Amino acid sequence: MNHFDEMTVLLFLEGQLDAGHAQDVRTHAASCVECRKLLHALEGEGVWLRESLTAEDESIPARLVAAPERGSAPWGWLTAFGLGVGGAYTVWSGVIVPWQAQAAEAGFTQGNLLTMLFFSGSLWKGWDAMRSGMEFVAMATLALILIWLLRRQFRRATAFSVVMAAALFAFALPPSAAAAETEHGDPNYTLAAGQEIKTDLIVAADRIVIDGTVDGDLITWSRSVTVNGEVKGDVISWGQSVNVNGTVGGNVRTFCQMLTVAGSVQRNVMAWSGDVNLDQKSKVGGTVTLGAGDGDLNGTIGGDVLAFMGSLGIDGRIGGNVRVRSGHLAIGSAADITGSTKYLGNHRETVASGAKLGSPVQYTLYKHGPDRASPRYYWHQILLWGASFVFGLAILLLAPGFFYDVTNACKKVAPTSGLGALFFLATPVAAILLCITIVGIPVAIATVFVYVVAIYAAQVFVGTWIGEKILGAAVGIGPTLGRLALGLAIIRAVRVIPYAGALFGSIVVIWGLGALLLTVYKYMRPQYAPAAA
Amino acid sequence: MSATELVEVLANVRAGDSEAWGELYRRYAPAMFRFCRRALPTAEDAEDATTEIFMKVRQKLGTYDASRPFTAWLYKVASNHCWDLLRRRRIRQDLETGDIETMPLEHPDPGQLERLQAEHSSKEVRTGLAKLPDRARMALVLRYYSDMSYDEIAETLGVRRAFVGVLLLRARHQLREALAGSGAAGELGAAAGRR
Repeated sequence: MNHFDEMTVLLFLEGQLDAGHAQDVRTHAASCVECRKLLHALEGEGVWLRESLTAEDESIPARLVAAPERGSAPWGWLTAFGLGVGGAYTVWSGVIVPWQAQAAEAGFTQGNLLTMLFFSGSLWKGWDAMRSGMEFVAMATLALILIWLLRRQFRRATAFSVVMAAALFAFALPPSAAAAETEHGDPNYTLAAGQEIKTDLIVAADRIVIDGTVDGDLITWSRSVTVNGEVKGDVISWGQSVNVNGTVGGNVRTFCQMLTVAGSVQRNVMAWSGDVNLDQKSKVGGTVTLGAGDGDLNGTIGGDVLAFMGSLGIDGRIGGNVRVRSGHLAIGSAADITGSTKYLGNHRETVASGAKLGSPVQYTLYKHGPDRASPRYYWHQILLWGASFVFGLAILLLAPGFFYDVTNACKKVAPTSGLGALFFLATPVAAILLCITIVGIPVAIATVFVYVVAIYAAQVFVGTWIGEKILGAAVGIGPTLGRLALGLAIIRAVRVIPYAGALFGSIVVIWGLGALLLTVYKYMRPQYAPAAA
Repeated sequence: MSATELVEVLANVRAGDSEAWGELYRRYAPAMFRFCRRALPTAEDAEDATTEIFMKVRQKLGTYDASRPFTAWLYKVASNHCWDLLRRRRIRQDLETGDIETMPLEHPDPGQLERLQAEHSSKEVRTGLAKLPDRARMALVLRYYSDMSYDEIAETLGVRRAFVGVLLLRARHQLREALAGSGAAGELGAAAGRR
């Protein structure tokens, strides 16, 4: 027999070799001095290790003398819960409710914000289908979390049945209805006068002209869209210029460079646009909501106007209230505003003689930046800190391994910063590009959602890293929470500083985002298990 | 504490007797603390973990199978807890250092090995142990402190049984290097050429 190797000796000494091999070792060791020496040395090492580790030369710390009776008071959880509730209330009362009130003033009178935006079709009927999808994803996520939590209780058969049941459930889901006609221009598309489409019409073309009738929604991607005929549903349009000269039975929702309405819109107009022009002949039955550079409202509007503009001119009839945040506001002599006019801007409004106003314009000078002299501002900072702490707590409890890995990744400053900056800038561009294709819209929405969550989460990981730098590395949930709380407090405190705080906030976002991406990349790349002996 | 006394104490603890709980704690807390002190990187971690382990023990005492040694069950709870703590924090790092596991090992010189043992106290060995990667340190502690079988170590660390021997051997090499320093490690490894 040749000399045996160290692994064989170890397994022999630990009683892990079968009888035959063990006998071979004994026989060889009896005749080989060199192997016998190795055997004795390793045997001695085993004894030495055992004695060193089991030596009782340490006293038990004083705090461990008494037996623990129960868990410590959950003050941390109670504080976190309180701050979380406070944070949620602040966001609700400070952001959502005022916005909802503004929107309600502008004619969006559905029950609540979510219903208004997503579920009642004020933006797009397709949200209904999207909602079902989101509900399914949410339920599936909850189910996965539940399965993960109970994984130790499952035997293989149970796990198999769960997988099979999930698969059957997925197959049993009804396919989504697809009742729309899709057209691609060559390069242009024209629906001739006298022609009628009896369903929704989705068109992507260089130029689109609708002279006929669409008995449903018109959804378009185009350089130029002109509606001379009739659309009985909504017009939802992405393009360079959108012209509505005919009749729209529903809403007009546009994301374009130039919107011109010279015809009739029976419900509402919502535009995110460079320029908006409602011609003198135009009629809008409902509300007008604008986010635009420049706008002229010269036609007749039945409801309210809510506008965020560079400059706005009103020289038409408005049946409701006007709420404007704008650089300039000019009210012409032909203007006739039934309701009140509130204007938040940088310069006083100009009102021509002859203009009819339900009440004088209420002007408020727009103040840039937060009011740092107000105690409320600092109270909000504390609540925002609480909200971010609760968010971090949720990540830590749901995915502790991932949490620690991302925090560790923060140590690699250069690659994380580079990666973070790249994705910080590239993701919105990618989302916009995805919107160009119909198929890509849900992906774009999901991308933006994940992007926003990731940006918010960035502070959690960087905060924990900062906390660890100050207090040292943490093992376990409790110490990590302490470091998280400290780090977030520091970030929040620095962000209060004008200008430098904003810069610091950007660095935190880019850095944390990069660490997040680096970790996800490491999770996704293939891992190779070490070879067995 | 004799086996009969232990059975009685455990029954009383299950019945909610806080005095029995205190007795059980006083009997096993020092050993548990030492286990945690060797398995975890800092003394503070070990103190926290010892408390947490005993809270778990109290909750899970109903699942203890009296036909098995109580100490073995206790170490099982403790090792799972400590490894869970370490794993949450270090799992990616362990995977990243996976290439170390596949590096060929050099045979030690028995003479050098014996000198190393003679020159280092128990305390120095434990200091060296603290410098090891989590998995290597945990493997040595489970085997040479808790006296766990290869099957139990494999189950705790989530590795194949056949890999436990490799893990222990690598851990021993890493400990030798930690104790000897880089220069001496080279000396230990130099014996490779002679075999």
